[in-house]
Amino acid sequence: MEIIKTINLEKTYHDNGVPVHAVRGISMTVHAGDFLVIAGPSGSGKTTLLNLIGALDLPTAGSISFEGEELSSMSRRELSAFRLHKLGFIFQAYNLIPVLTAIENIEFTMMLLGISEEERNERSLNIMEDLRIAELADKRPNEMSGGQQQRVAVARAIVTNPSIVLADEPTANLDTATGSSLLDLMEKMNKERNITFIFSSHDPQVIERGRRLFVLRDGRIEQEVSR
Amino acid sequence: MMLLKLAQRNIWRNKRRSVIVIVSVAVGITATILTDTLSMGMIFQMFDNQIGSHIAHMQIHRNGFRDNMVVQNFIPDAEIVERAIKEEPSIAVYSRRVVLFGLLSSANTSAGISIIGIEPTQEAKLTKIKSSIVSGSYLTGSPNEIVIGRNLAEKLGVELGDKVVALSATLDGHVGSDVFRIVGVFETFSSEFDKVYAYVPLEGAQKLVGLGNRISEIAILTTDRNTVGMSKEALQDRLGDEYEVLSYVDLIPLILVQIDMYQQSMIVFYAIIGIALILGIVNTMLMSVFERIQEIGVLMAIGLSNAKIFSMILIEALSLGILGTGAGFVAGVLIYLPLASYGIDLSAFSEGLKSFGTGTVIYPVFTATGVLNALFLIPFMTVLGALYPAYRAIRLQPINAIRFV
Repeated sequence: MEIIKTINLEKTYHDNGVPVHAVRGISMTVHAGDFLVIAGPSGSGKTTLLNLIGALDLPTAGSISFEGEELSSMSRRELSAFRLHKLGFIFQAYNLIPVLTAIENIEFTMMLLGISEEERNERSLNIMEDLRIAELADKRPNEMSGGQQQRVAVARAIVTNPSIVLADEPTANLDTATGSSLLDLMEKMNKERNITFIFSSHDPQVIERGRRLFVLRDGRIEQEVSR
Repeated sequence: MMLLKLAQRNIWRNKRRSVIVIVSVAVGITATILTDTLSMGMIFQMFDNQIGSHIAHMQIHRNGFRDNMVVQNFIPDAEIVERAIKEEPSIAVYSRRVVLFGLLSSANTSAGISIIGIEPTQEAKLTKIKSSIVSGSYLTGSPNEIVIGRNLAEKLGVELGDKVVALSATLDGHVGSDVFRIVGVFETFSSEFDKVYAYVPLEGAQKLVGLGNRISEIAILTTDRNTVGMSKEALQDRLGDEYEVLSYVDLIPLILVQIDMYQQSMIVFYAIIGIALILGIVNTMLMSVFERIQEIGVLMAIGLSNAKIFSMILIEALSLGILGTGAGFVAGVLIYLPLASYGIDLSAFSEGLKSFGTGTVIYPVFTATGVLNALFLIPFMTVLGALYPAYRAIRLQPINAIRFV
C-alpha cells in the first residue's frame, strides 16, 4: 500500500541570498512496511528530503502526499497533529528532552495522544524490555550513553505505533556494534509491527540493510534499488 | 500533566536565573503589601478618627441645616426623630447635639470656634472626646463646663479652671454670651480639630442661644458601618423631606475622595511594579526560549502543538510568578503581623501626621483588595510578560529550530 508519494518535489534554500537547490524534482513512493534508505554523500539532499517527508519543512515546488492527502495544504496545527499521530522521529543527536527521564521521554508522545496512564506505563515498559533499556527507566539523558539514548529515542519513536518512522543518520554518533544492534532492533520492529522505516544515512551498515535504497546526488535520485 | 511537569522542571534548569526572578517578584510583592497595608492603615485611621471625633456614622438635621448652619435651623420635632431612630434596628447608639458657631474669648484673646452642646454620657458612647482628654476631666453635666482642644487652649492662653466667654447668635437674632469654666483639655489625632472644637453640656449650649430644650443635630452610630447607606435610606423614608439624614459619605466626602485617590495611586504603583516585572519576565523567558530552540524544534517534530508549546512557556512564567508571590506574600504577612499588632511609631513626623488627621502610631491594615491584588495581579503580570517569548517560540519553524546551534 502506497503511503507517501512525492511528485517533482523541490526545495531551494537561500544561503546569504545565494539559492541552494537541495532537492530537485524528486518523485518517489513509499509503501507501508518499507525499510527504506535514502543514501548519498553529504549535501546530496537526503536529510532535506527526509524533513520534507516528515513535514518539518515545506517544499518550494512539487507535491508530497500522505495516504493521498497533500501535506502542503495542511495548516501548522494539522501538520502538528499529522506528525503526532502518523510519524515517529529518530535524530542523529538523539534529541531526548533533557529534563525528562527515559520513561517520561517515551511516555511523552503517548500522553499527547491522550493514552491512559495505565496503558502508557504498560507500553513503555514493554518496549523498554524489547529494546533492553528497562534499567534506564528513571535515568535522565545526561546519565546515559549515546547508544542508550538512541535506544530511548527509538522507543519514543515507535511506542505510539506510527505509520512511519523517520530516522536521520541514527547510527552516525554510535560505534559499529551499537549501531548494528540498534538496526537489528529497528528491523525487528519493522517486521513485527509492520512499521515503515525511512532512513537518511551514508552509514554502509544502514545502506546494506535497506530493502529499498534511493541514492541521491545533487538533490536528484541517482539510483533506486529494491532488494 | 506532563506539560506541567515539563514546565516545572524547565524553570529549574537555570536555578540562579529562576531564583533571581522569584526573589524579584517576592521583593515586589512584599513591598506592595507593606505599602498597601500601611497606606490603608493611615487612611482607615484618618477615617476612623473623623468618625470617632465628631462625625459619627450618620447625622440628622432639619432639612437645609448643612447648607445654612444657623441656630434657627433646629430640629422641628426631636421626639419624632428619636422615635424613628429607635424603630430602626441597625442603629447602635445616638446622641443629641446643639451645633453652634461663635467666639470663645479668654482674658487675652478670642478665637472663632464650633461650640458643640452634647449629652456627655451618650456622646461618650459615640465619639472619642472623653478618651481624648489629656488634662482635667470630661464634662460632668454641669451646664457651664467646657472642654476644649489643646491647640485652642494654647491659642487662648488658658489653662484648666480658667473661665472663658462664649458668644453666639441666639434664636431671636441677638448675640448670646455665657461664661464657661474649662474642666478638661482634649487632644485628638487632628491638630486642626483641636483648634476649632469646644464641647459644653447640651443645656449650656441651649441656654447660650436661647434654644430652650430644642436641638440641632442627632449623631448616630450604626451596628455596621458598611450598611450605613441602607440605614440612611430607611431613616430618610421614615422622617420625610422635613429632615436631612446624612451619612459619613455625605459629611466627609474629602476623605472618601482621598481613599479613591489613594486607590488610583496604588493602581499606578502596581502598574510600575508590573511593568518592571513584565520586562524582567520578558527578558528571562526570552533567554529561556533561546536556550531551548533546538528542544522546542524537537517538541514540534514529535507533535507538540503550538498551543501546548505556548501554554508550556506561560506555565513556566506563571510558576515563577506564583513561587515569587507565595514567598513575597509570606514575607509580607510575617512583617505585617507584628506591625499590625504594635503599630509603626512615626512620632518623629507627629506634626505632619496630626495635620493629616492620623495618629503618630500607624497600624497597617490588610484589605481584601490588597490581598487579591497581591495574590493574583502579579502572577497575572508574569503571564503577560511571557506572552511575547511564547509567541516567539511558536513562530519557530521546526526544521530551523532543530538545526539551531
